Amino acid sequence: MLSRVADNLYWMNRYVERAEGVTRLVEVKRDTNLEAEAKGDKRDYWRSALQAMCASEGAQEEDLNDPESFILFSKRWSSSVINSINQARENARMVRDQLSEEIWVELNNLYLFLNSPDAQQTYLQDSSKFFRRVIRFSLVFQGLSDATVHQDEGWLFMSLGKYLERADQTSRALDTLTLLGNEPTRLDLIGVLRICSAQSAYRKRYRGDLNLRNVADFLLFSQDFPRSLRFAIRRIDSNLHDISGVPAGNFSNEAERLTGSVLAQLNFSGIDAMLETGLHESIDDLQKKLIEVGQSIFETYVLLPFEIKNASVPPVVQSQMQQQ
Amino acid sequence: MQNELFTSYETDVFFDEMFGSDGIAPLDHYRSILNRLKSLEPTQIEEKQKQADSSFLEHGVTFTVYGDDEGTERIFPFDLIPRVIPDKEWQKVEQGLRQRILALNLFLNDVYHDGKIMAEGVVPEEVVKSSAHYRQEMVGFDVPRDIFVHICGTDLIRDETGRYLVLEDNARCPSGASYLLENREIMKKTFPGTYQAMSVRSVEAYPELLLRSLEFLSPRQSQKPVCVLLTPGVYNSAYFEHTFLARQMGIEIVEGKDLIAIDGHVYMRTTHGLVQVDVIYRRLDDAFLDPLFFEEDSLLGVSGLMDAYLKGNVALANGIGTGVVDDKVTYAYVPEMIRFYLGQDPILEQVPTYLCWNDQDRDYVLNNLSELVVKSANESGGYGMLVGSASTKKEREEFAQMIQASPRDYIAQPIISLSRHPTFCENGIEGRHVDLRPFILYGEDIEIVPGGLTRVALKKGSLVVNSSQGGGSKDTWVLKD
Repeated sequence: MLSRVADNLYWMNRYVERAEGVTRLVEVKRDTNLEAEAKGDKRDYWRSALQAMCASEGAQEEDLNDPESFILFSKRWSSSVINSINQARENARMVRDQLSEEIWVELNNLYLFLNSPDAQQTYLQDSSKFFRRVIRFSLVFQGLSDATVHQDEGWLFMSLGKYLERADQTSRALDTLTLLGNEPTRLDLIGVLRICSAQSAYRKRYRGDLNLRNVADFLLFSQDFPRSLRFAIRRIDSNLHDISGVPAGNFSNEAERLTGSVLAQLNFSGIDAMLETGLHESIDDLQKKLIEVGQSIFETYVLLPFEIKNASVPPVVQSQMQQQ
Repeated sequence: MQNELFTSYETDVFFDEMFGSDGIAPLDHYRSILNRLKSLEPTQIEEKQKQADSSFLEHGVTFTVYGDDEGTERIFPFDLIPRVIPDKEWQKVEQGLRQRILALNLFLNDVYHDGKIMAEGVVPEEVVKSSAHYRQEMVGFDVPRDIFVHICGTDLIRDETGRYLVLEDNARCPSGASYLLENREIMKKTFPGTYQAMSVRSVEAYPELLLRSLEFLSPRQSQKPVCVLLTPGVYNSAYFEHTFLARQMGIEIVEGKDLIAIDGHVYMRTTHGLVQVDVIYRRLDDAFLDPLFFEEDSLLGVSGLMDAYLKGNVALANGIGTGVVDDKVTYAYVPEMIRFYLGQDPILEQVPTYLCWNDQDRDYVLNNLSELVVKSANESGGYGMLVGSASTKKEREEFAQMIQASPRDYIAQPIISLSRHPTFCENGIEGRHVDLRPFILYGEDIEIVPGGLTRVALKKGSLVVNSSQGGGSKDTWVLKD
């Protein structure tokens, strides 16, 4: 398929997944904040959230006074929910011929909603209704991707985008715990599980045993929870091999090699080793590797070999925004 | 039960598509749809219109309005009352269009080869060579299958007597076919029963016919040709149409940056390397196609594309240099072309045209500005136009100056009272001026899907139907015999 189309499909899905992840984070942080305040435990939850999403730098004074609106509606921050959906839709518009009508209509509807006065109004009147709408959209979008899209190469690129972004979002949610400055409370731990929709799955696995080690273990290493890093990276690995046709275990390009190495790391290290290195540092390291995987997918499938070798030729297709 | 929709409808002095020239009784071919409309409650009509509008918006059937900060996407306003054309009437139009596209192609081949028509003094050489879209580089080049214009949008209007007249030809990148197809989809949902009962001829084959005429051009006929649609990109006003047609044809939609020309061949960049392209349905004007050849700073095109084209390794639809026949000065000579090349009389008449470069015509135009429409020879979209009867003295003086400064660039035509069609307006149903753009495909055969895009000037009294000037559209129903 066209390289640009592969790139657009990949980014469309990344942005949709990002909008969902960011919305989940806001929804839960808002709640945690309320409850903590009610208990007289006043902590700066938003600071750690913004930091984990790498949004603090672009934020201005007025943004910090209203961090929720900033994360949801800011035009200045490229990963705000509204910007993510606008960019997802822009990518979709460029590949409309590849999408099912249903997918387009869903995405376009959310785009029209977010860019209308209705969005702010809904959010102010009933914020949970607003959050549900965005999250529900993303879930419908994923359902439609599986149910209405021809599962060919384009679909594999969509899936790549989804899982890379999901791995990234989960790692960021977990990272909010290390950025708090204090030991996370029970409330904080539950919050992160909620962001990842992992509450009941976690309870099943660990019963009542709620602590940072177990939460981190679950979100990083779970074999079969669909939002864990290990799960996501295993999918990325198998998507990449499906695209190239090279059997698993072997590799034919840098993206496959890197993914294989991250997967090996998650398969063969454990939570205790990670805690020893420092959770934040380990997460940071994983995030850096995910960025490299993204970059090498771009170089493998979008750029032509001579464009990479010859640095004086600027890449004709610009890589879009990875969260740094 | 009947609503009051048509009780105060006035046809005025115009030819009315539904009520003819006397304006008393509806024409036979409109009876069913008129009865259906009359049977609706006003709220039902509103509901149907709302459904149609939101369906267009949801499906992203939009065009981009320029000159707006945000590059707003708007829906092309759609009117629920279809234009109906009886079979017999359409057959004559169709024959006229076939004749016309044949003559236009023969003319273009002649112009870029022997120039017989100029040598024999039928069309002045200076008119052709001074045309803004004449391409010196094409002289002597044999275009694939000797066809220059593969897709032509010829605009037709009807005068006070209901006679069809050709208003202009769009032989470069005519747009609107997607609206024709989408309008039909909406109408089938809105009036399913009436649609069926009236036996309307279907238009759905258009994308397939278009693809066939593109594949016909491929330089590699031994294998399934690789056709692509080249778009200027997502910010182009017709981008929706580009994706729509590409999807319907099942071909790739590409931007300039997706293509690369190497050693006289054109390839597209894919995830599995480069794939050779045979036919490019380009929705980009000549000047933007190749920065090495035309506009050096164009970022939309492909460097080396023209080299590949002139070597015959890739086909372009439409060909290069077809804009000569879009020129409104050349237009004036089309009846002569038909006689010259085909030895026939034109089946479709056209609007009498005064050519300002001709001294006698120019004097007449300058003395009668308030009774004429003055048009710039190479503008489209309703820009660069003076409608004399609706102009101020100052506007007329400005145009007079422009005409004197560059007479070759202007023509004038008598003001034709375009036919009107009942249309939903703010205060109920009123007559609005319409035109018709059929799409003519020229491949192995000439194919014209029945009807075309009916455009309607929604502003009261306006004669300008272009979407950029507040125009809308209607579905066009050609009936089976």
